[in-house]
Amino acid sequence: MKETPSECCAIEPDLIATATQEAEPAAARRVEEHIGRCASCRGEFEQYRAIEGAVGALRGEPLPAARLTRARAELESRLADLRARLVEYRVFPSPLGPILIARSEQGVSLVEYLRGRRALGASRLSRAAGVEAVEDGAEVEALYRELLEYLEGRRTRLDWPLDLRWARSEFHRAVLQVTAGIPYGAVTSYTGIAWKVGRPAAVRAVAQALRWNPLPIVVPCHRVVGVSGSLTGYAGNRIDLKQRLLATEGVPTLKMRRDLQIAREAMYAVSRGEVEYCLPTCPSLRSRTLVHLTLFGSRERAEAVGLAPCTTCRPDLHPISR
Amino acid sequence: MPPFHTGAPPVSYNVTMGGDGFEAIVAAHHGEIYRYLRRATGRASEADDLSQETFLRAFRAYRSLPPDANVRAWLFAIATNLSRNRFRAGKRQRRALEAVRAQSSHFDGQGPEAETLFNEARTRIEAVIAGLPLKQRLAFTLRKVHDLDYEAIARSLDCSPESARAHVFQALRKIRQGLDRHELVQRERQR
Repeated sequence: MKETPSECCAIEPDLIATATQEAEPAAARRVEEHIGRCASCRGEFEQYRAIEGAVGALRGEPLPAARLTRARAELESRLADLRARLVEYRVFPSPLGPILIARSEQGVSLVEYLRGRRALGASRLSRAAGVEAVEDGAEVEALYRELLEYLEGRRTRLDWPLDLRWARSEFHRAVLQVTAGIPYGAVTSYTGIAWKVGRPAAVRAVAQALRWNPLPIVVPCHRVVGVSGSLTGYAGNRIDLKQRLLATEGVPTLKMRRDLQIAREAMYAVSRGEVEYCLPTCPSLRSRTLVHLTLFGSRERAEAVGLAPCTTCRPDLHPISR
Repeated sequence: MPPFHTGAPPVSYNVTMGGDGFEAIVAAHHGEIYRYLRRATGRASEADDLSQETFLRAFRAYRSLPPDANVRAWLFAIATNLSRNRFRAGKRQRRALEAVRAQSSHFDGQGPEAETLFNEARTRIEAVIAGLPLKQRLAFTLRKVHDLDYEAIARSLDCSPESARAHVFQALRKIRQGLDRHELVQRERQR
């Protein structure tokens, strides 16, 4: 093997670069000049040029169309499957402690208080079968901002599309749907919900369904109280959270011995099916039990959902003083 | 009935997770990623598998991608990682090489003799590429077949742009050596 002159050695990288269209103009000029007088390097240059040409042909190398189509179809079907299973979530700080928000393709599927532990292991997400949870910000962040506005009393609606697949049964779903319709600043009873879903005796089952509510705050189970007016349960034993949410919405509560109650006498009442709201003492109210009444913390909240003041008791002329 | 007792909340809030433009990404890049993985892994079955895996991974992650990200380079980086992992796991390099050699009949032209000569050289190049060390082969394919810049190749291979370039040049030298005493240049001259 003949010895390569040092000049040829030095220019070799530039030579490869020039032949394969990777070189700076200055380097290319040096190479042109060198191969003009060095036959052996010119040979090398042409070899590399030819390689570049042959490699370029690889770009257009035909792919096996049938196989590619099959791979693509399989990908599409796996993507569809993944889309259906995928849940995006994130844990956010809030005045009520860390809150996890998760959404699927269909809508918001989970809102969860995390009781101080911010890890996913503490969440229902980690126990759900057939779900792939992905931590992701952007989509869920917008929901979080709205939730914060709500918690700060600056927003009265969370018009989110809901994914109720996580409800445990059709009955639970029906309960959640009805509960979702209770307006901001209003309160009704478990018994009232049972009536609404057409199972007036299933009061305990309604309470169970709301205990498993996968979407607290969004499906406002905090607006459902015992028929006596007692706040009863919330998120395990977090009645303080329930009171706080109700307070945010302007629903008055008071402490009766050791029991937290809504302050019924300080709230406006609407009989089921009526379009007018009354003072709690109005003689036109057919019933005084919470089975058939929805209560509002203020006239403003009642009127916000289209109710008019009663023409008998005239709450507009004699508003409840606080 | 009071207007608020309407049951379900309105479904007006327009945040969709599925209709997200990912279909367009698949449509635009599936073919070239498949092509790349065929060469990167040397096996059609691996390309079937890893091309799907590439896009499934991308789907899981792409919503956290900055809006100005280079999606194409990012997909190549995922595909590159997957092929490297696959290789580390199985040390299948030799099998891949054999596979490409077996496949080379696919590249043989059936045309005139001149074409056959050219294809012989090409087959030889294929074989050399298939036998390159993994990083060199990946860098070379990304650069010369798929035209990625050295920044993107460096990100894919987790190295500096300089060493990405060095890998490509080393690959070119090996191809050149593999072609010693072969017809390539003479063929080109006759054309």
